[in-house]
Amino acid sequence: MVEAFAGFHATEIEGVPVLWLPDRRFKTFRFALQARRPMDRRAAARSLLPGLLLQGTRRDPDRPALARRMERLFGAVVVPSTGKEGECHVLRFSLDSIAPDHAPGHPDLLGDGLELLADLLARPRLENGAFPEEVFVRERTQATHAARALFNDKAAWATQQALAHACAGEPMAIPEHGGVEAIESLRADEPEKARQDFLAHGEMLALAHGALPEESLLERIGKFLRELPTRSPEPIPASRHPEHRTRGATVERATVQQSKLVLVFRLPAADSATWAGRVLFASLLGGGPHSRLFREVREKHSLAYYAHATLERFKGLLLVQVGLDQSAAARVEEEVLRQVDELRAGTITTDELETARAGVLSALASVSDGIGERMEFTARQWLLGQDRSPEQQQELYVHTTAAQVAQAAEGLWLDHSYLLAPDDEGV
Amino acid sequence: MGQHDFEIHKDRLLDEEVWLATTSHGLRLRVVPTERFQEAAAMVSFRYGSTDLGFVEGGGAHRSPEGVAHYLEHKLFEDEELKVFDRFARRGARVNAMTGFTRTSYHFTATDQVLENLDDLLHLVSRAHVTPENVDKERGIIAQEIRMYEDSADYRLFFDFLGGLFGSHPVRHPVGGTVASIADITADELLACYHAFYRTGNAAMAVAGPVDPHAILQAAEGCKLASGKAPESVWEEDLGPVLRSWFERELQVPRSKVMLGFKDRDVVGDPEARLRRHLVTEILLDRLFSPSSEIREDLRRRGIVDDSLSFGYLSDFSFGFSSVSCESDDPRAAAEALRRTMLRPVELDEDYVDRVRRKMLGRYVRSFGSVRNLAFGQAQEALDDITPFRMLERFSSVTAADVVARQREHCREDSCAVAVAVAGQQRPGNGSAIPAAQRS
Repeated sequence: MVEAFAGFHATEIEGVPVLWLPDRRFKTFRFALQARRPMDRRAAARSLLPGLLLQGTRRDPDRPALARRMERLFGAVVVPSTGKEGECHVLRFSLDSIAPDHAPGHPDLLGDGLELLADLLARPRLENGAFPEEVFVRERTQATHAARALFNDKAAWATQQALAHACAGEPMAIPEHGGVEAIESLRADEPEKARQDFLAHGEMLALAHGALPEESLLERIGKFLRELPTRSPEPIPASRHPEHRTRGATVERATVQQSKLVLVFRLPAADSATWAGRVLFASLLGGGPHSRLFREVREKHSLAYYAHATLERFKGLLLVQVGLDQSAAARVEEEVLRQVDELRAGTITTDELETARAGVLSALASVSDGIGERMEFTARQWLLGQDRSPEQQQELYVHTTAAQVAQAAEGLWLDHSYLLAPDDEGV
Repeated sequence: MGQHDFEIHKDRLLDEEVWLATTSHGLRLRVVPTERFQEAAAMVSFRYGSTDLGFVEGGGAHRSPEGVAHYLEHKLFEDEELKVFDRFARRGARVNAMTGFTRTSYHFTATDQVLENLDDLLHLVSRAHVTPENVDKERGIIAQEIRMYEDSADYRLFFDFLGGLFGSHPVRHPVGGTVASIADITADELLACYHAFYRTGNAAMAVAGPVDPHAILQAAEGCKLASGKAPESVWEEDLGPVLRSWFERELQVPRSKVMLGFKDRDVVGDPEARLRRHLVTEILLDRLFSPSSEIREDLRRRGIVDDSLSFGYLSDFSFGFSSVSCESDDPRAAAEALRRTMLRPVELDEDYVDRVRRKMLGRYVRSFGSVRNLAFGQAQEALDDITPFRMLERFSSVTAADVVARQREHCREDSCAVAVAVAGQQRPGNGSAIPAAQRS
């Protein structure tokens, strides 16, 4: 195990890599533990875990009791959550607290917070090896409602649907919540099995950053990690990249006034330098007001209210998301493809490239200003095996040329075009 | 320029300071110099928002169509060369703006060339390149933005709710207006509003980050905004009973949504007193609806509310209201339970008071966690001439009796309105992965 990684100190405790960086610039600190498992049919059971775990621990009989314990720790935020990174399901537990120096009597907020986190993660309130039936049924209903409520955010819904269509048959198609039908058919014992599976077989990482007490920090983290069951982590399978195929197209209709167009492009596997070129490519295409999509699609042709491009590094996707009038969809897709072709041909002005570069460098320079941002950056670097701090990461972008940006987009192809359009009532 | 140009306020608990000054043209300035961050943030804020639809100047009354403040915000990002965004982007800075009920704010964050960005931000707000042609061109973009908001059930519900609380106050209208109301906005209208409200006496600027306050003051002195105060906005007093206690409409949502709340029947002019009222109301709502509340837990266990429950309080010189919202399969039962909960006299014991004090201290410390928070917070406080770093003092003066009294005053039967978004048609798909996609 290395002693430093991406600007953080590094060690391994109880078989878990631990990255930490005390920083007295901050007035708060955060500790986070994350575990990754492949996205599969157990996604629904996993996604129910945050809600279930917040309903109490062996020590805190119900949710208000748990919430009161956090309030007494000066509003410490102890949150379990799930996320999706490419084709992985990530379970995260984080403790966010003010530094003890700012609280009367300088209490041990790290020690008390880690104890609360351990209660939440390792000692949930169970009955006969499962979450209590009443609690399970309520949380399953809640999770079903929450999954359906995604439709209220039309842009997020359109993206979920676009990925489901483009990546049909691949783990990427499974939504983070596992799908409404999967949630509805869950049995009471499944979430506890998913918790144990995450803890025993998940690929784990612990991070700590901010105004951390330097004295006996690792001892306290070690004490927390020893609360977890014995582990035998399983590796995450590599993502599959489909062969180039004809563009798919889907139109779905709903009562909406503004249509949403999502274009899903595929990108082949590549090294870090190539991905740096791709980051600039995405920025040039749709990374803000300086981009082709903003200037051409929105400002020049007034075809859309918003149009941006983002990368999904873990799966190798470029997503273009546009909010527009249905009648403009074909023209916008044509224009997006035209701009992609121009950029791939290296038709990039110096001004454009320098503006995109300045944006990327500025974003990287500000990563260290936020505890959460820096931890997220470092966790991502760990997963990608990139031992570079934000400052070192900037070096990847400093000398990238227009030709390298164009080259980085080699092998890019449009897999699917998804449109959420108005039905008769929405028009 | 020396230190005497500034009045310096310190927070000893957090070891932070804010420098206050007013430029020779009357622009209020606050600077939070800190080396804790690499990034700097700046905000210029005007006391002009979507509710400022009428004013009197030069003896004449002026009425504006709904959405004019937001339209003007869009137009200020345009100049003769159409390069406003580019100038910031070339330096890696991110610039944006927002319009609310009572304020319009322009801001940027940058890790380099802060003074150059500041000059551009001040230039951006100090002139209006508004022509009939470019006003017409922007109309389609703004209409798209309005349609996007109108696709949000939460947005529709919120304005249905405000439309029930208020019969005449312009807070009942969507901030961006409607597609119909913006059709009436002209270049002359925008220029009239710009000249009326974009003045130093109606503005404040705040900058936070690794900056030299003297250099910031010097840049602010170069601001070309017109001097003087803005005209008084005028609106019909709207402090009587609610216009309608119940409103529902069918929307394409997977599950019905309810929003209920109470309207303030009086308003507080003094900003400090208004902040205190705000705080007391927040504590009341926290006592009733935070996750630690046994009252919320009881509603949840009975299946009346779920984790979608959220709550808040918003107020300004001329209006104030609380709101509680949640999803429900039985919106009538949920609304009735929430109404009763807010009307039933609340009890606050010592344990609660101790916990909420700790929680508020934590929240205050966290507010120093980013330059954006610092700059944005100081700009808003500067507009109302609020003394910096008074939050903890304000909080420690609140008693349980204040909260009980505030509930009696605020939660009155005839001050309550409910809006419901009734679940309508089915959405496409069901949230599951769809196995087959058509390829063409």
